[in-house]
Amino acid sequence: MTLTLQPVRVATGSDEEGMLVFDEEQRLVAVLTHLGEQYDGLSGRWYLEAGFGRLGVQDHPTYADLDEAQAWIRQRLARER
Amino acid sequence: MHASFHPQDNALIRKLESVFALTDDERQALDDLPLQVMDIKADQDIVREGDRPSRSFTILSGFTSTYKVTGDGRRQIVAFGIAGDIPDLQSLHLKVLDISVATLTPCRVGFINHEDLWRLCMRHPRIAAAFWRETLIEGAIFREWVVNVGRRDAYTRMAHIFCELLVRLKAVGLAEGYACNLPMTQSEFADAIGTSTVHVNRVIQELRANGLIELSGDRLNVPDWEKLKHAGDFDPTYLHLENAQAAA
Repeated sequence: MTLTLQPVRVATGSDEEGMLVFDEEQRLVAVLTHLGEQYDGLSGRWYLEAGFGRLGVQDHPTYADLDEAQAWIRQRLARER
Repeated sequence: MHASFHPQDNALIRKLESVFALTDDERQALDDLPLQVMDIKADQDIVREGDRPSRSFTILSGFTSTYKVTGDGRRQIVAFGIAGDIPDLQSLHLKVLDISVATLTPCRVGFINHEDLWRLCMRHPRIAAAFWRETLIEGAIFREWVVNVGRRDAYTRMAHIFCELLVRLKAVGLAEGYACNLPMTQSEFADAIGTSTVHVNRVIQELRANGLIELSGDRLNVPDWEKLKHAGDFDPTYLHLENAQAAA
């Protein structure tokens, strides 16, 4: 599945850079945030700020980079409930 | 001084006295309770779900978490244990443990054989009543946590947890004014309030920025108690402390 990314600023309190993630039918499936310097061990990682449908998980994961994030999203969307 | 034989178990007496008025005899009986004292490193399970223990343990020093794990391996912390607590007291009556308890910091714990606990309760029905009261309060805290996790936003949840821990530590003499040691990591707080570490990080920054808490290392200081209580939607009634001062 091909995902499309669109840069966006996310108002998390410290105005972070993020990405809107769309599926092949241009439906919004997730919002990713690039974690700034204030997160200790997690700084620089990408965070699942919001996920919709099957991506609506309780404990929002973080990813080393956008490739890893997209791989997780694809796998999750392909999974049967 | 009988206490000199068991200098560590005062924590249990202090804890029970914070919710129940004990007589000298009862205090003595608790002090005479045989304890197998053990020092346990941080991040170790003390008991596990499914265990069938023949003893319970009281925390003499340190902090524990009581937790459950979902089928796919995600942890929910359902309670924090502090000195004086008996996190697995239930196993005296419920033979199979439905919770796990782990150390968050290095802990000194005292194991009490169920036989000895039974004997103590038979000889001192008021101590049995004190344990009952303590168990009911534990239930009240669980109910409050359900509300916290289910209906409050992360900022309020976090402020609520800080309030609760401070009041509980204060009740057993482990807080000075509105300051206490609070060694939990952000990831442990996340598992307790049902959110992510990133979110805990953000709400803690916000609480600091708003002047509600000061954190330095493991030390929490609350500069404006009323303000934090308000932010945490915190009413200490559910802790049912004997000395309402402790909850002020």
